[in-house]
Amino acid sequence: MIRIIDNTLTAFDDCLPSKEDLYTFCNLLFTIGVDVVEFSIAAYERMELLPKEGKYILNVEYADEINKYPGFYKYVTNCTINQDTVIHEVQMNDAREIVKLRALTEYRELRIVGLDDLICESYDRTMNEIKKILSKSKINFCPENTYGCASALALQWVLNSGTDITTSFAGHKNNGATEEVIMALRLAIRHKPNRDLTVLPQLKQIYERITNSCIGNKKPILGKNIFQVEAGIHADGLHKNPDTYEAYQPGWVGGKTEFVIGKHSGMKAIKLKLEELNMPIPIDSNLNEILYLIKETCTLNRKSLNDQEFERIVIKVIGNERIQTYY
Amino acid sequence: MKEFKHIIDTTLRDGEQSPGIALGIEDKLKIAKLLDNIGIYEIEAGIPCLGDKEIEGISRIIETRKNAKISVWSRMNINDVKQSIQCNPDIIHIGVPVSYVQIYSKLKKNKIWVQKNILCCVELAQNHNIDVTVGLEDASRADLGFILSLIKELKKAGVNTIRVADTVGILIPNRTKEIVETIKAHTDIKIEMHVHNDLGMAVANSIIGAKAGADYIDCTLFGIGERTGNCNFYDFIHASESIFQFAMNRKQIREVEKQSYTVLKGAM
Repeated sequence: MIRIIDNTLTAFDDCLPSKEDLYTFCNLLFTIGVDVVEFSIAAYERMELLPKEGKYILNVEYADEINKYPGFYKYVTNCTINQDTVIHEVQMNDAREIVKLRALTEYRELRIVGLDDLICESYDRTMNEIKKILSKSKINFCPENTYGCASALALQWVLNSGTDITTSFAGHKNNGATEEVIMALRLAIRHKPNRDLTVLPQLKQIYERITNSCIGNKKPILGKNIFQVEAGIHADGLHKNPDTYEAYQPGWVGGKTEFVIGKHSGMKAIKLKLEELNMPIPIDSNLNEILYLIKETCTLNRKSLNDQEFERIVIKVIGNERIQTYY
Repeated sequence: MKEFKHIIDTTLRDGEQSPGIALGIEDKLKIAKLLDNIGIYEIEAGIPCLGDKEIEGISRIIETRKNAKISVWSRMNINDVKQSIQCNPDIIHIGVPVSYVQIYSKLKKNKIWVQKNILCCVELAQNHNIDVTVGLEDASRADLGFILSLIKELKKAGVNTIRVADTVGILIPNRTKEIVETIKAHTDIKIEMHVHNDLGMAVANSIIGAKAGADYIDCTLFGIGERTGNCNFYDFIHASESIFQFAMNRKQIREVEKQSYTVLKGAM
């Protein structure tokens, strides 16, 4: 059984939010398909009590903290404790270090953090080697993202018969991005297809408020502009059948396709935009003039048009036509 | 000795298709020059069917380039190919939809029609002594059997390079490996990887594709492109320079990014 641990809440110690925000953040993580949420001690103390629903892990630095904070499903530590409830964490900087795992075979459960460059190695062979060395242990893989490949590695671990991975929302902890891995698993093996990802915009909003940061417009799954379409051929294709140019329906993640008019737009895209704005479709000669003016304006201003700018061009062309007709 | 891989930069084509930006002739010339100077193998300079200004921009890039090959993008459409020929580029890249959803649902045609049309377009371009590469659009969702039969026909027609295009950004490493290895095992065609970042896996998929035998990797500055963008040039080199040799280094790419940031920032 696949188990996704999200450890975002171990990284908020410098910007601890309110108890309510922490509760909401946890609930939303479970809603999107996370199986276990990991806390730092500071985040847990801010929450005061664990929510009744869900499984939680506490990240501890010292062994005595395990007894000090009872009630967790598991504890993650790099201390040398070998108990059923403890996940021993080990850092591996590159694939050559996996030989060190031979000294750790007695641990019941291990989390391997790092292996950023595994994609450049024979990753499937290395993953199998890890499983062979630790054949008696439960292994949790937490690839780091120095080379932008952590989500892919986390996914591959699961597809190569691994079960446990650790990720963080938006890849906040320099590991795989929870939402990317969840979506990739849904598309690749239909893992948890009924989980509700439409709450992702809400999760993003809380995340941005807590971290006082702004998620990039093009960030996979979460970015504000990722469902914008300008190119004419794609706008037309999407209108006919959304499956032609989208990996998944934007509605799954609380988004929607947005047609943007710009330099690459063609006649069909313009007609779609006119329909969207409830504007009449002009005659072909006017459409050609609108298309020409759009390309000129966009190139001059080095950007696409917003709806108001588009409307102004249309009205200008249609207005001229009316004057000509009138006279 | 590390294996050498070529970079094809598509900032001026797929990158510019990102809503938010519209490059003028001078902008395109400036970026093309910067890319040419750092040893880019091929610059995909634009889409001639967009109009006279686009054709003028592409033609000026061709006139002023020093080493890079200049390619243009064309739909599988005789009129589009004719407009591409007007630019007299080194390469005309023709996109051919290969997944069933694209063929039957978007085009409302069939595989035979696709095969016939792409071969006509290829022949037209070749008759003008222009090299052709063919982009297998939506290859990530396509039937590999159809891809192989199409490559066989393309090879017979004199096409030596195909682009594996992850048009909707749905590729994952396992599937990337499967596609590239299968094509390599059954054909002797050169492969160009072209991936999108919808699942945050563009860099990983490009590396896997290159390891499996792809000769060329498509990248864009800052990773700009449709939706979540394409494979980020800097990130790809950073992630794979330990196993591959490239014509440029990361410092040079950063410098190009610095000098083109103002005109490209709208796409980020």
